[in-house]
Amino acid sequence: MTQALEWIANIVIVIGLIFMALGVFGVFRFRDYYSRILVTAKVDTVGFITVMFGLIIRHGFDFFTGKIVLVLALYIITNPIATHAITRSAHLSGYRIKKER
Amino acid sequence: MDFDSIVLAIVAGLSVFGLVRVLDGPTVWDRMLGFALFSSKVIVAAVMIGIVINRTYMIDVALIYGVLGFIGTIMIARFIERRGDV
Repeated sequence: MTQALEWIANIVIVIGLIFMALGVFGVFRFRDYYSRILVTAKVDTVGFITVMFGLIIRHGFDFFTGKIVLVLALYIITNPIATHAITRSAHLSGYRIKKER
Repeated sequence: MDFDSIVLAIVAGLSVFGLVRVLDGPTVWDRMLGFALFSSKVIVAAVMIGIVINRTYMIDVALIYGVLGFIGTIMIARFIERRGDV
């Protein structure tokens, strides 16, 4: 049983890593700031959640997992607020999307 | 080189790309975005280090780094938005 659980956790962690790689790729692919932060904030957070979920699955239920859940909860709350604050300061400071056409 | 250290190496590699965005970001907000990306990778790397060496204090390090990074990002955003008079 634990062997199967180990494999499931490893697969979930690999999926999380793929999401993280896509988030980093999204930072370099987009030319404009707003589309860049849109992709990064979402895909990176999903990658983080998936990796942490894989670690939680692997470690079962003990004190260690409680701390991982705490880090996960903190990150889920703070990352959207942080990216919102950055984008808000960009918007209020007058940064607008330049029409490429 | 078991599974955890491979994951740790990959996450460390990804965090370098976040710093590359900090370097060549045209606007200052791109730099802050790159830093936010970098700090999320550092949090995951810290948790993975905690798992590789099987010590729970590394997860507290990740937690504190997340909180301080968040406060730093918010204050920088406020500073830029108000052009100095926070």
